[in-house]
Amino acid sequence: MVLARFALIGALVAGVTGGTGDTGAAAAAGAAAQGAPGATGLSARAPSGATVQVPGAIRGRLDVRRVARPTERRPEVAAPGSAGPRDLPDLRRGVVYLESAPRGAFEEREPGRAVMDQRNETFVPHVLAVTVGAVVDFPNSDKTFHNVFSLSRARRFDLGRYAAGHSKSIRFDRPGLVRVFCDIHSHMNAYVLVLSHPFFDVTDVDGRFRIDDVPAGTYTVVGWYDGEPRTSRPVTVPSGGIADFELVVP
Amino acid sequence: MKQALLALGVLLLSATGARAQLLPTEPVSVADGRLVVSAEISATVGGGDPGFFNYTDYEYSGLRNLRVGVGAELRASRWLQVLGELRLDHATHVEPFALYARIRPWPERRFDIQVGRIPGTFGAFGRTSYGTGNLVIGTPLAYQYLTSLRPDSLPATADDLLRMRGRGWLSNFPLGVAAADRGLPLINSVRSDTGVQAHGLKGVVEWTAAVTTGSLSNPKVRDDNGGRQLVGRVVARPVPAVAVGVSAARGAYLSRAVERALPSGARLDDGIQRVLGVDGEYSEGRFLARAELIRSHWALPFALSGGGNERLGAHSLLVEGRYRIAPGLQLAARAERLDFSRIQAGGLSELWEAPVQRIEAGASYSIIRNVTLKASVQRNVRDGGRIRRDTLAAMQVVYWF
Repeated sequence: MVLARFALIGALVAGVTGGTGDTGAAAAAGAAAQGAPGATGLSARAPSGATVQVPGAIRGRLDVRRVARPTERRPEVAAPGSAGPRDLPDLRRGVVYLESAPRGAFEEREPGRAVMDQRNETFVPHVLAVTVGAVVDFPNSDKTFHNVFSLSRARRFDLGRYAAGHSKSIRFDRPGLVRVFCDIHSHMNAYVLVLSHPFFDVTDVDGRFRIDDVPAGTYTVVGWYDGEPRTSRPVTVPSGGIADFELVVP
Repeated sequence: MKQALLALGVLLLSATGARAQLLPTEPVSVADGRLVVSAEISATVGGGDPGFFNYTDYEYSGLRNLRVGVGAELRASRWLQVLGELRLDHATHVEPFALYARIRPWPERRFDIQVGRIPGTFGAFGRTSYGTGNLVIGTPLAYQYLTSLRPDSLPATADDLLRMRGRGWLSNFPLGVAAADRGLPLINSVRSDTGVQAHGLKGVVEWTAAVTTGSLSNPKVRDDNGGRQLVGRVVARPVPAVAVGVSAARGAYLSRAVERALPSGARLDDGIQRVLGVDGEYSEGRFLARAELIRSHWALPFALSGGGNERLGAHSLLVEGRYRIAPGLQLAARAERLDFSRIQAGGLSELWEAPVQRIEAGASYSIIRNVTLKASVQRNVRDGGRIRRDTLAAMQVVYWF
């Protein structure tokens, strides 16, 4: 911890004194500040003498105090036997994103492509975050039929029934939250969070996230979990530096 | 009717509430998932049914009903669960539709033994009989339509039987219980039988076998005739798009009320119902189609006119399908026919019951995932009875979690 603070002070001094402004130095400053709270940064000086803001990063941890329970199967009283085993969705993951995007965020970008698999009667991953225009593939990796559909306002679709080894795709053209279900297996559900800018990250199983290439400035960072935004806080991203903090979902 | 209308309104309003998560959208889980509770509420409002085409065992029309079904599963251990469903029908009849223990001797294998008031073994309709699974609103004729035959009252002559053609909702015969009452359907889908059931799955073949106290047309909680029913079903799914099933059942259907009326040497468990069924399902993309053929025979343990046993036959053919034309919006239709065998009466060969045909077509729209609004029109034609043709319309709201 003490070492980290020394590193943070070193990085701040480098930023204040102008440093060299090369990205290698910025990265080094970021690396040195790993694990330290707060923000580090630097600015570069252009040949004309004007100060150029170098993009920074946001990283940290979304601390989910109460992890949601997976959706249980409905008691199938009319079934002559119990259903087969299924995988439980990974419900430890959330999404962290900027509430409002910095300038330039809406410049034309290559639409992304993502995959939400269907395995052992579970959507994998349980949470997918994409930008507007992205295409999501829904392959069926089970032996049984699945029928992916959504009645969400942001995107209503129905891919129909299809068998193992087949995949169908859908383009998400509007920002918003899309709840995805299987028409055959009522316990199967997932989220596709469609964002209008690329400044977001899905947390890993420990809740860690990192959003790169964020222009320097002050933003509201939102922690989304289990279907809704649960927490937010203002964060200042220094030029070429890293804002490091923790968001708590009670 | 008033209750169903009221419930229909409340459910429609609650669709907005469900958006705001005022109502559950998923099964309620307590005690760390050991107890899971779900429910389905369906409110159905339809016109009068003076021809009693849709009347069921509970003396109400299936097109005018408020049904609340609450299901629960208690997961005592990996190898033992207790499942049950309590149903309120027509806002008056409360009954445990099912209550049984499920034993899984080898938790890693798909093999179960179920004991108690168990789910139906025969046919394809049992698992799709809920509002969410039924493609239209009405219940298939084979699983609902009341024939004139009764478990507690017997015709003395063929004429007694023919006089009741097309009057299954209120038939009466001279032997046994004299009061008029409801007759028997081929398969009763509103009550469950009691017994032991085994179920297994191996590869693409799923099988179920059961021994119960009642019969398909007359399921029982308590045995009332000393007979047992054997029922079995095998389903093969060679490819995910196709399922083919074969079912068979043999059970005693007469009750002790007619014991005294039996001729000497005849026994209650001579009154046997034998049923054979074949069904198939095909689905691909937005399309789903099903077909089912059922043949049933009831043996009357004495001669209608002083001869040997009489076998009364019935067979039903059903074809149904649905196509989803947009997310949450689907069109569906069902066509079916229920025919009956002939008996000799006064030197003539006559159908012992009036054949019925039904075509039902409708649409359903899911306002949100777990609230669905259905509407359908049903055309019934019967070759007998006071009212021989009727067109009925109905609306239904189904909410589930």
